[in-house]
Amino acid sequence: MRFQDAARDARAVVYAGIQADPLVARAAALLADATAAQRVLARAVMNGESDAAEPWRSMFPTLFGSVAAAEGSAERDRSEAILAVSLAVATRGEQVRSQFRGAIVEAVTELLLARRVAADAIRRERRILFDGVPAEIHPYDVTVETPGAAEAYDCKWGARGISADVLHQLDDARGHAAAEGDRLLPVLVIFDARRSCEVRLARHTAPRTGTRLVTIETLDRLAGRRAEAAS
Amino acid sequence: MTDSRALVERVVEAIGRLVALGETIEDEWTYVHDLETVWVARLRAVAAGSGAAAHGAAAPQSPSSSHPSPALPPPPELEAALDRLVAEADMVGDPHRAIDWLSTLPQATLVALGESAW
Repeated sequence: MRFQDAARDARAVVYAGIQADPLVARAAALLADATAAQRVLARAVMNGESDAAEPWRSMFPTLFGSVAAAEGSAERDRSEAILAVSLAVATRGEQVRSQFRGAIVEAVTELLLARRVAADAIRRERRILFDGVPAEIHPYDVTVETPGAAEAYDCKWGARGISADVLHQLDDARGHAAAEGDRLLPVLVIFDARRSCEVRLARHTAPRTGTRLVTIETLDRLAGRRAEAAS
Repeated sequence: MTDSRALVERVVEAIGRLVALGETIEDEWTYVHDLETVWVARLRAVAAGSGAAAHGAAAPQSPSSSHPSPALPPPPELEAALDRLVAEADMVGDPHRAIDWLSTLPQATLVALGESAW
């Protein structure tokens, strides 16, 4: 099993520009330390129509209302910062914000993984090659390239991004690695509720038993921390 | 006291409107209706139990890295929050975004209710 940088085709070059946008890094840093409710706020705003802050504050009274953390507290400041960065993404237009949302999930994944494994083991946009097996077209969003305990991550903004192709690619990689005597843990990271993901997965017959599912409520498990719900 | 069940039914009606929009994506018809089924069931279950939560002791809202905590009593701004969430959902005109909102609206509603969003 070998890892290799993905080809820098036109799509990759354009997407690399989005991945490098400071807005992506800012959003990822905030969401990596966010509470579950703050992550739902980000998801709603980046999916939403309203482009002003006040309507969103009224929609999330547990973050901005009378029962929320006090104004000026670190928790309240983070809610405001997440709202601001999410609005900045939402106002980029439908096509661009879709790309930003995907890049943000990848960046959050990388940040959380860096709290558990050495940063130099974490790579982006990598292909995994196996002897005698044609390379997959799509690179993995994030990989952890630790000898004997590699991990491959596919990151999606919503449950609707789960497809048979994705499930097959992840499971095939795990199987090919095992055939070579290596261990590769495939992981789907979905910035959506597990309930919605399970609905999506129920429609597929593609193999998934060897693939770990990390959802918006269990993101912190990427960092090795316990989350609200078991994966 | 706010009648959480009546308020949640307004959200359920909004979900129905999102379903009507999202189901126009032919390949997603089953997914759209399955999402409606599971999230409406979850919201109604929470609303049915919210009276007990309203009379229970308040607990700090759990950070994402902690165990589930007992639900908070609904905030006093709940009705305005859910009305605004419904209005936001009703602004959606694109069927693909409606499908996104079929998952997002219930999660945001649960957060407004002081519940875990899942």
